[in-house]
Amino acid sequence: MPRIFIYVGLIALLCLLIPPAVIARVRATPNPNLPIHIIQDMDFQSKFKTQAVNPLFADRRTIRPPVQNAVARGETYVDGLLYEGVTDGAWTQTLPPQVPLTVATLKRGQERFNIYCSVCHGETGNGDGLVNKRAMELVANTNGPVNGTVWVTAKNLVHDETVTVQPVGQIFSSITHGIRNMAGYGSQIPVEDRWAIAAYVKTLQRSQNARPSDVPAGTTLAEAK
Amino acid sequence: MVQSRPASFLRTSQAVSRFLFPRWTNAILPFVLVVGAVAPLYAVMFVAYGFSPKTLEAGYMPHQPVPYSHATHAGKLGMDCRYCHNSVEQASFAAVPATQTCMNCHTQIHKDSPKLAKVRASYETGMPIEWVKVHKLGDYAYFNHAAHVNRGVGCVECHGRVDQMEEVYRVAPLSMGWCLECHREPVDRLRPVSQVTNLAWDQKKEMTREQREQLQKTFNIHPNENCSTCHR
Repeated sequence: MPRIFIYVGLIALLCLLIPPAVIARVRATPNPNLPIHIIQDMDFQSKFKTQAVNPLFADRRTIRPPVQNAVARGETYVDGLLYEGVTDGAWTQTLPPQVPLTVATLKRGQERFNIYCSVCHGETGNGDGLVNKRAMELVANTNGPVNGTVWVTAKNLVHDETVTVQPVGQIFSSITHGIRNMAGYGSQIPVEDRWAIAAYVKTLQRSQNARPSDVPAGTTLAEAK
Repeated sequence: MVQSRPASFLRTSQAVSRFLFPRWTNAILPFVLVVGAVAPLYAVMFVAYGFSPKTLEAGYMPHQPVPYSHATHAGKLGMDCRYCHNSVEQASFAAVPATQTCMNCHTQIHKDSPKLAKVRASYETGMPIEWVKVHKLGDYAYFNHAAHVNRGVGCVECHGRVDQMEEVYRVAPLSMGWCLECHREPVDRLRPVSQVTNLAWDQKKEMTREQREQLQKTFNIHPNENCSTCHR
């Protein structure tokens, strides 16, 4: 047999290893290009899904922002107690009737507080959230604040007396509209959840300022645990 | 080979009929048979492996208009997924947040950073930032986020360790076969609802199989394999 046939045969065999090697590499490396979509089926339909681009509008949004001054059903905001935390011209001391004061509400408040508030205020409310810490680092940078960062330490919600004296309605209002450097969370958190958070902040203030006298009489430490 | 042909090879048809394969070609015959048998197998393997969604669809990592790092926000700063994707528990989609959500912090932190120029522009003009969708399903598939996260399917099951990604990429193939893997055998993918956004938490380490089976009972999970479950 002429040698050339043997060599060509061996090289052809080796070449067969190239496609699997290429595929293995493609599998292992992230790729910024749009995936090759071999079988199209009906994967790409001429319809607009949530948050997709719509070239017909100037802002290219598929979801249309509401027309100015439009009022959606159920969003009249006329209930001053529920939406502003105000009753008889003063901050309410109690929760509105739509949000009952139950353990479930407080648990919900705890969960929501840990999602939205603890990033700055910390999980116990004492102001040691990780974002707050990071911002303080950026401000304290030796060559000046990084990228023009300005930051006022997040409030200690449980020990700062300007906060602890606030009625629940005022805390609700601060969450909704923001206060000083804090942005309002009215658009980000549903109204019932904001009340649950406000109630939980009051709970935190109570638990973080517990005194020996709070322990029921006759209870030993071991029992309390 | 050429040497064995008669000189009159090109001139008479009679000469062609006398052409014989040289004797050494007999040795090739077994190889031809082997190649004939293996070649279709190779082709099938090539298509199955190379055209699989795990090859073509997974690993998609588009560059985003703003170099937002999930590793910094969700990882280092420990922010919950729902701080930004706050529709996930009520809606079928986990919304990409409004620019306002970015500006909750970035009116103050890194407020002059050139990386945030597009965020500031969006905040001032009201024009949305055009984030690139990473996890795209076929348009005939109606996946519902709320139905999954409210019954103990963690974000990490489909999205991977986003809290460790500088740039988000598609971990899962998002193919129908891949969906069905879990719809047929959901037990190992279930966790308590309180741990749904905790990407580092692994139910296979933290819970026993019995506990997960109990979860399935508690949540009343009987995943459907009917076409109409996802295709409408």
